[in-house]
Amino acid sequence: MTTPKDTDRPLGKLPLDRRRFLHLGAAGVASLILPWSLAEQTLAAETVTTSGRLSIGFSQEPTVFNPLMPHIEVDDGIHWNLFDPLFFADPQGNLVPALAAEVPTVENGGISADGLSWHIKLRDDVRWHDGQPFTAEDVAFTFRLTVDPDFRSARHAGFDLIDEIEVISPTELRWTMSESYAPFLSILATTFIVPSHLLASQPNEAPFNNAPVGTGAFKWKDRVAGDHILLEANEAYFGTGPGLEEVVFRYIPDITVLYTQFRTGDIDVIGMQGIMPDHYEEAKGLNDKAVVLVPSASVESIAFNMERPQFQDPAVRQALYLALDKATILDALYYGLPEETESYMPHQSPYYNHELPPHQFDLEAAKQLLDDAGWLPGSDGVREKAGVRLSFTNSTTAGNQVREQMQQFVQQTWLALGVDMQISNRPPAVMWGDYWMQSQFDSVVVGLNFLTGSDPDVSNYFRSDAIPAQNGGGQNTFQYQNSEIDRLLGEGASEPDPAKRQPIYHQIQAKIRADLPLLPLFQYAYIRGYKDGLQGFEGNINTRISTWNVNQWRWS
Amino acid sequence: MGRYLIGRLGQSIIVLFLVSLIGFMILNLAPGGPLSQFALTPGMSQADIQRIAAQMGLDRPLIIQYFDWLGRLLVGDWGDSFRDGRPVLEIIIEHLWATLLLMGTSMAVSIVIGIGVGIAGAVRRYSVFDYLATVGAMVALSIPTFWFGLVAIYLFALQLDWLPAGSMTTIGDGSVVDYLRHLILPTLVLSLVNVAIWSRYMRASTLEVLDQDFVRTARAKGLSRYRVLVHHIVRNALLPMITLAGLQLPTILGGALVAETVFTWPGMGRLFLDSIGYSDYPVVMGILMLSAIFVLLGNLLADLLVAITDPRVRLA
Amino acid sequence: MTTMTAAGDAAHTRHHWWQHRTLSRFLRHRLAATGLAIILMLTLACLLGPHLLPYDELTVDLRARFSPPLTQDHYLGTDPLGRDIAARLLMAGRISLLVGFSVMLISTVFGTLIGVVAGYFRGWVGSVLMRIVDAFLAFPSIFLVLVLSAFVEPSPFMITVIIALTCWMEIARIVEAEILSLRERDFTIAARLSGASARWIMFRELVPNAMGPIIVAATLTIANAILLEAYISFLGYGIQPPLPSWGNMLNSAQQYLADAPWLAIVPGITITLAVSSFNFIGDGLRDALDSRSNLP
Repeated sequence: MTTPKDTDRPLGKLPLDRRRFLHLGAAGVASLILPWSLAEQTLAAETVTTSGRLSIGFSQEPTVFNPLMPHIEVDDGIHWNLFDPLFFADPQGNLVPALAAEVPTVENGGISADGLSWHIKLRDDVRWHDGQPFTAEDVAFTFRLTVDPDFRSARHAGFDLIDEIEVISPTELRWTMSESYAPFLSILATTFIVPSHLLASQPNEAPFNNAPVGTGAFKWKDRVAGDHILLEANEAYFGTGPGLEEVVFRYIPDITVLYTQFRTGDIDVIGMQGIMPDHYEEAKGLNDKAVVLVPSASVESIAFNMERPQFQDPAVRQALYLALDKATILDALYYGLPEETESYMPHQSPYYNHELPPHQFDLEAAKQLLDDAGWLPGSDGVREKAGVRLSFTNSTTAGNQVREQMQQFVQQTWLALGVDMQISNRPPAVMWGDYWMQSQFDSVVVGLNFLTGSDPDVSNYFRSDAIPAQNGGGQNTFQYQNSEIDRLLGEGASEPDPAKRQPIYHQIQAKIRADLPLLPLFQYAYIRGYKDGLQGFEGNINTRISTWNVNQWRWS
Repeated sequence: MGRYLIGRLGQSIIVLFLVSLIGFMILNLAPGGPLSQFALTPGMSQADIQRIAAQMGLDRPLIIQYFDWLGRLLVGDWGDSFRDGRPVLEIIIEHLWATLLLMGTSMAVSIVIGIGVGIAGAVRRYSVFDYLATVGAMVALSIPTFWFGLVAIYLFALQLDWLPAGSMTTIGDGSVVDYLRHLILPTLVLSLVNVAIWSRYMRASTLEVLDQDFVRTARAKGLSRYRVLVHHIVRNALLPMITLAGLQLPTILGGALVAETVFTWPGMGRLFLDSIGYSDYPVVMGILMLSAIFVLLGNLLADLLVAITDPRVRLA
Repeated sequence: MTTMTAAGDAAHTRHHWWQHRTLSRFLRHRLAATGLAIILMLTLACLLGPHLLPYDELTVDLRARFSPPLTQDHYLGTDPLGRDIAARLLMAGRISLLVGFSVMLISTVFGTLIGVVAGYFRGWVGSVLMRIVDAFLAFPSIFLVLVLSAFVEPSPFMITVIIALTCWMEIARIVEAEILSLRERDFTIAARLSGASARWIMFRELVPNAMGPIIVAATLTIANAILLEAYISFLGYGIQPPLPSWGNMLNSAQQYLADAPWLAIVPGITITLAVSSFNFIGDGLRDALDSRSNLP
């Protein structure tokens, strides 16, 4: 049915978009060195019978089919099936080769010890969907196109550090980088390779952009805009699968209708936004349906604009956290599904600090804290100190109903503390425009994935030189400034040894937890469902979308 | 006649120009913009966003952007969607037929019912039926369309499970029956308002005719009630309805937008709402312009038809 | 949605609308009288009711969420936050009715102004003004409201202005048509000959005589404004929580339609009731002001 609810509104879901590529596998020290000690695993072409058809429901419409152009989460759901990266991260966080014959490491000589020279060997049995052979030229072309000033490329990061690319043979290429940039490995793991022969001229307007040709397990067949996209099996796929003849991605703009159609069997798989928490119990009881909880790397928080006078006193932030009834919010509004958290770092990350002090809801302690700090109730009951009233606005995407319920619940609790929080939500385009980027808000409710690729680095969000409102280039819209954090972040980014990095990032998490530039609420988990008999469905926290491995799906 | 037509066309073009100016300025002066949806995308920095804005020409002064857009429009280029890069006109036409299917079905249903109810009410003026029809029409016009859609979904899809809750087809089933099943609820919702409008107008129009001399003459001549009704009254009463069809276009289009959003109908209304959500200005502008053209054409045609068919109207 | 009630055809009489005969005609119009009674009751309930109910509209009680109607003293049940729907409905009524009335005031004043100026001066002034009116009329009002509300900070004031922006054209058209004919009437010509200023003639002579159709159109504008507010708030672009409005009470209703249908039914019926009442009043007023019409 209608409406751009939270979910079907393009920007309403933005925070959820931020599931970056992460190595979130088995926790522990072993996984700390994951990128460099790869599982011996390749995409061995198993023989799979290709049969049957499958329909997947999305509450947003995929519209960008050139994977290098700016796109949103749902577009990824198509890209994964049409294209391949050189290598990708599996659910355990292992890098698995796809178009590359092996994942480059220092050990196998793929990456030089100083991190400046890279050498990649490619598979020799890959063809584009139109029959043209896939070669190293395509990879070199993709890298160059990414930084082509005339091309509307989504991102430059990493690729702009490449000095020179040398194609040695159709299956081999080499490049050098102007500086060592460890996250590049994880950037490559989400970079899909595009065909040079179809994008050489006018890549912004090429027919390719609406009739993509890839190397993936499925070929583009048809799109009815506003309704569905149809892919068909690529029988010549080099990897596992495909196990399905046709896959339909159906655009169903409303989550209620999406769920209804899943229940009635009109769609086989409920993709994003998935099933709403309030339908979880009912969905689990459905006949012939499997309903699974898929964790995500995004963390929901109430974040402050630290330049506002109300939030400069740490006692205020601590008191607000004490007066935040997280347990009730999670249990009642989110049906206990997401995981409570104390950190911006996902629990599955090997860098997650398990020693952070647990949150406690204690209204009286909060009042005491504010009293002691000199914030005393004024005539209208709102606390104030030195002419600053504890009154501020809280914003998020208008129409995100569960968040709005949470805001109103928090508003009531904080009112009892003597804090006046006004809700001031905005339409998505306004909310995440300058209002967010230039820190024009007082406080926000936002879900973010803070990590930089596979790396635990959070410089983008917490360094004092990453504040857009102060001419920084990052995403530190909280305007959080802490020289100690700056120092630790610098140290952590330049330290190559994962074992030595761990204590640094534990320290950063502890400091952020103590400083509270944002009040962490929970780590997201999504409910997905599929029809019984479908095999191969597997959540992957390292990708943004659950249709990352449709090549391995099949009906039993 | 020719001069009148040219004058009217001239006026319509001025109106279209104003529509485009108002629409363009409202869209582009608003905060946010098409790239704010990427503000939180992994790996995309503020610099990336500024670079892309420049590539798309969004950093130019607004007035230049407007005349650039207008200039292209005048040579038939409606621009390309910010989302999938395809020509705006192509995208709109793809969605248009779904809207036309819905509007057409609803128009057909509501004209038949509305005209029937209107005539019956006029002929039996002040009867219980007339009274109920009048009150019913008023209430129907007061029901929020989207809410009526929700109630219909609750009843017929969720509770009774008779009809699908949304979409235009079931996947893998393109049969006529399937289309019809999906058409029923949106048509019902959209027709509620339209039947009300048509019946009210038809009643008024019929009453007007009933009062006129030729009807009395016909009756006096002893023609049967039925013959008078069909040959004299209805034919003459239908004439003003042509005008109505033209003038009602904005209302019907607006109603279709609401019905489409409630029933996830893949038509122009759905496209409009999505395009607003993604700040896809070229598509939003395209739909605004196209609907304005429809509305103006509808008005013009209505006036012309009346002029042609009614000798009493002289066009200067 | 009020196009059917195009008030332009209401005859302009030299009677003043409040004159006895008119009033009695109106009151004899039973539906209009019923409508008026409902609106008065609704307004009274919205003003006094919240003070009489055991809950206020903001009190959150998560243990009592989704209580169906008639659970203890939650007469109309509770919403997803356990807030009392009866209390919210009445507080929402204040907002929705206030938005409706404010839109009516703004758009009537503005529309009348444009209409009078366009009708009195005619020529290129009138032409330009009326083309602007045409331009605004050329898109479905819902399109315009959606475009505006998707990009504006949604305070009640801004929502009112946005809706008013799409409601004034009908009134401007009606007034212009009225003025065009009135300005040729004897009393206007007499005033002009006696040297009265244009402003005096417009606002002292012409507008009072066009009052009938203006009032009818204004009444119908309230109905329309309430519907528009409901729709954009339903889409999440309108009145923002925690402030309740009839529209935003429906906003979350869709998601819980299967489990808590009363969330949708209660505000929906209230909106229908209020809007029908205004439509009936408008209809009654038109009949009452139209000397030609015969009452049932």
